[in-house]
Amino acid sequence: MSTVTTSRPIVDGERPPGHTDAPGRRRTRRLVRPSTPMVLLALALLLPTAALLGGGGWPQALRVDLVPALDSFADWVVDNRETHPVFLYFLLHLSNAATDSVAWVHDLLTAAGWAGVLTAATALAWYAGGAGRRGAGPALIALGSLAGCGFLGLWEQATETLALMLVSVVVAVVLGLLLGLAGGLSDTAQRILRPVLDTMQVLPSFAYLLPLVLIFGIGTPSALITTVIYAMPPMVRMTTLGLRGADPAVLEASRSLGSTSWQRLWTARLPMARPQLLLGLNQTIMMALSMVVIASVVGAGGLGESVYQALKTRDFGQGLTAGLAIVLIAVWLDRTTAAAGARGGVPVGRRGTGLVLVAAGGGLLAGSSAGGEWPEAVTVDIAAPLNTVVDWLVGNLYQDVPVLGGTSVWAGNFTSWVLNPLNNGLQALPWWSLLLLAAAVALLVGTWRGASTAVLALSCIGVLGIWDKALYTLSQVLVAVALTLLLGFAIGILAARVRTVERLLRPVFDAMQTLPQFIYLIPVVQLFNAGRVAAITAAAVYALPAVVRVTTQGLKQVSPAALEVSRSLGATTWQQIRDVQWPLARPALLVAANQGVVLVLAVVVIGGLVGGGALGFDVVKGLTAGELGTGLIAGAGIVCLGLALDKLTQPAGRPALTHHSH
Amino acid sequence: MDGHDSVFSVRGLWKVFGPKAARVPGDPRLTALTTAEIRERTGCTVAVRDVSFDVRRGEVFVVMGLSGSGKSTLVRCLTRLIEPTAGELAMDGEDVLAMDPARLRELRRHRAAMVFQHFGLLPHRTVLDNVAYGLEIQGVAKGERRARAREVIAKVGLAGLEDRRPNQLSGGQQQRVGLARALAADPEVLLFDEPFSALDPLIRRDMQEEVARLHQEEGRTMVFITHDLAEALKLGDRIALMRDGAIVQLGTPEEIVTRPADDYVRDFVRDVPREQIVPVSRAMRPAIGDEADRGTVLAPDATVAEGVAAVARDGVPARIEADGVLLGVVDHTRLLAVVAGLAPDEANYADPDAGTGALAIPGMREDGVDTDAGPGADADAPKGKAATTPMDAPATGQGTDTDPVTA
Repeated sequence: MSTVTTSRPIVDGERPPGHTDAPGRRRTRRLVRPSTPMVLLALALLLPTAALLGGGGWPQALRVDLVPALDSFADWVVDNRETHPVFLYFLLHLSNAATDSVAWVHDLLTAAGWAGVLTAATALAWYAGGAGRRGAGPALIALGSLAGCGFLGLWEQATETLALMLVSVVVAVVLGLLLGLAGGLSDTAQRILRPVLDTMQVLPSFAYLLPLVLIFGIGTPSALITTVIYAMPPMVRMTTLGLRGADPAVLEASRSLGSTSWQRLWTARLPMARPQLLLGLNQTIMMALSMVVIASVVGAGGLGESVYQALKTRDFGQGLTAGLAIVLIAVWLDRTTAAAGARGGVPVGRRGTGLVLVAAGGGLLAGSSAGGEWPEAVTVDIAAPLNTVVDWLVGNLYQDVPVLGGTSVWAGNFTSWVLNPLNNGLQALPWWSLLLLAAAVALLVGTWRGASTAVLALSCIGVLGIWDKALYTLSQVLVAVALTLLLGFAIGILAARVRTVERLLRPVFDAMQTLPQFIYLIPVVQLFNAGRVAAITAAAVYALPAVVRVTTQGLKQVSPAALEVSRSLGATTWQQIRDVQWPLARPALLVAANQGVVLVLAVVVIGGLVGGGALGFDVVKGLTAGELGTGLIAGAGIVCLGLALDKLTQPAGRPALTHHSH
Repeated sequence: MDGHDSVFSVRGLWKVFGPKAARVPGDPRLTALTTAEIRERTGCTVAVRDVSFDVRRGEVFVVMGLSGSGKSTLVRCLTRLIEPTAGELAMDGEDVLAMDPARLRELRRHRAAMVFQHFGLLPHRTVLDNVAYGLEIQGVAKGERRARAREVIAKVGLAGLEDRRPNQLSGGQQQRVGLARALAADPEVLLFDEPFSALDPLIRRDMQEEVARLHQEEGRTMVFITHDLAEALKLGDRIALMRDGAIVQLGTPEEIVTRPADDYVRDFVRDVPREQIVPVSRAMRPAIGDEADRGTVLAPDATVAEGVAAVARDGVPARIEADGVLLGVVDHTRLLAVVAGLAPDEANYADPDAGTGALAIPGMREDGVDTDAGPGADADAPKGKAATTPMDAPATGQGTDTDPVTA
């Protein structure tokens, strides 16, 4: 029988995705993947010997000190920023356009007044929901969320954040659409884009702040571009996915009617990709929001600035208030875009559209005459009571707790019994044995290519002369990841087996994932004192939701038939988990581990702000103290560490993981 | 050839998938091999293999074969949705393979429209806008294309459902939308790619009758792809039977059933209820005695089934008349011989004189045939095309892939 099925003929030039590189990948894996016991044996022999031989540290001869060169380059940039043609004719325009557009949107929002913005947002949400009864939910959420920002006394800050958000989301969506179109329509573009996107996804956003600051200085342009870079990948990915997922039967029918490729794109591909495009928009907005605080480090004002200041002054109440406002904005935008997606492209009637326009117009008129400031009288101060609660907690838990000792004691013990030994152990190992270890782990988990990337990335760290600092950071990451995975798998298994647990956890995790990473730092700093323990705890808390979620999903996707068989054979609950669910869910668990690593790294770096030290601290120092050379190298080190850790935990043939914000 | 009479004219058409596919049709060492051997030797899959035929104006041309026989690839080659590897292809005498993209789009927009197995409807559009889609692509203004779409929707029996979306329709209704979309462009030819395979049997019969009715009313040329023999026999004026990319037999339903070209075709048509296909004229003999004055009068192209009914009812042979002239009679022995698929010399006719006439059933198989009609027999289905189709196609003999053109 011929392989060409007549119902779905193979069309020239169209191949199933992944078809081309599949054989090659299979071949390399079959050739070089060693057996697990062999690798373990080799490691068991090697590591003790290496530790005995001692030495440690990256050899001086293999280092290249780039700091002076980078510093002088930074000086050159600072000196020539006003005069050099590249700046004058390109970057300056970019910078001015960014500043102007954000300022313009901010002025617009201010001119519309709080009442105007409120009505316009509500009307828009109602329209997105179909301008009928089903639009009522999103509309109410929009109204409540924005009014909430006002009640919290953060209207002005919210407006600033919103202005930056709107501009960066528009830019990210437009660029993402264009790149996504390229990736969706051209295989070559897709081949180029995919690894870039994969890499961008694992980079801690902190890493690319410095180059931007170097070029644009602290201010709106840096904040805008950082946000755009961070928020764009999901738009590109979803656009590509939507275009490539178009039903081939429809495209063929369109072709058979004599459509041009442009007509096909416009009438079939794009409309059919609408759900994915809206999901991309949704994710882009969420990603942009999660950058609000980090952007404030390089000069964005608004809510992020409030959180950042609160972190500096350890004012938990203020920090959480501003964080809450960010969550409210996130909820509003999420529900509005989700409603537009759920509508499924059913057009809104003419009457609904008219009503929306009239309402928005009326609101804007009323708002602009009423003025831009939210009335002082209608605000609630929740910062003070929150601080009282935290103070009470700290006062009672920090130290001198009978028997248990208190959090500061725990932190001290944890540092001296876990963190320090691990760090010292890592430092004591010779550098080459660590490279070997990394290669072995990457080979066991993933592919040959992943292993070489990991080794290369680690070597870069050594060459850059920040080996010791990177190990210091690495020890924190390892502890935090272990903590996260232990907790995450335990909770994940529980949630997969007990429905109530999952239902209770879901809303909590949703909120936790939208809160800026910084929020977690404030209370733990107060409980554990500034230092590594605080950074690790914050990181574990931050990464936990994603790990639990992926674990639960993985366990629940295990075929019910296999479970039923094991039950019918009389397996105990533990046997079911160990023999059926665990092995079958292994790929999902590896993805969970990978996500945990990426997320933990992002926060541990931020932990540099509160005494996590090492690489994160250097980046912050580079930003705040103007030591750009040191900061840039630390940033590069973070990138390398991120790449290496990602490859060490990336299962072979893993599909692009869904980003952590969703 | 008679270019004005045939809509599509296909000569030596090849479609080969795979690396360096173009070398296969031109290489006599390769073309001598079977499809499986070619795949083994070159890695190429031959989907359509040296196919030649003509689609005559106004006929329903059915391409039939099992899945993998290349029939869907073949129909896509006709409008170059799949680019043929080699051969000649003309529509209304114009070389299709020489057309530039614009001219080809013109062909697809106005001259040939296709109905697909999986409908291919735009999920985000209403029925009305789906039907108007082809006109939109042609650049027809909104008001006009909607008005025309409404007419076509009424014609296919979907009036009142204009504002529904495809996912609110049943499979049969969705395919009616697909049919309406193809009709809206008022094309010269309708191409059907297994349009009813995805539908359940009752709906399928409705749709087949719908197509038969449309063909009767409009006389539009149709090329119909199917893997269902009953459907092919019911709708087709002529049937091309495909196997491994080549046409193994091309002929009228009657020829396919009564004179299979090879064992493959014979196997294929084994269970066909031949009394539904074969006309009574095949069982005719001269009248003897008073037979010319008695019995029901039948037309020559009435089916054997109708003859059986008439003879069973009257108890005497039925008369065959054309334009009031008596051509002969059929009796129960001869009708049964057709049903049984017996060769003339096997039949033990009551009257040996009459049995030696030229009207014996030609080409009948020697071995006995299961006289039970196949389970797919559809005794009541009207044979809508019978009225428009002259049963004049001469026997093309065997191996029609070498000389498929019946002049």
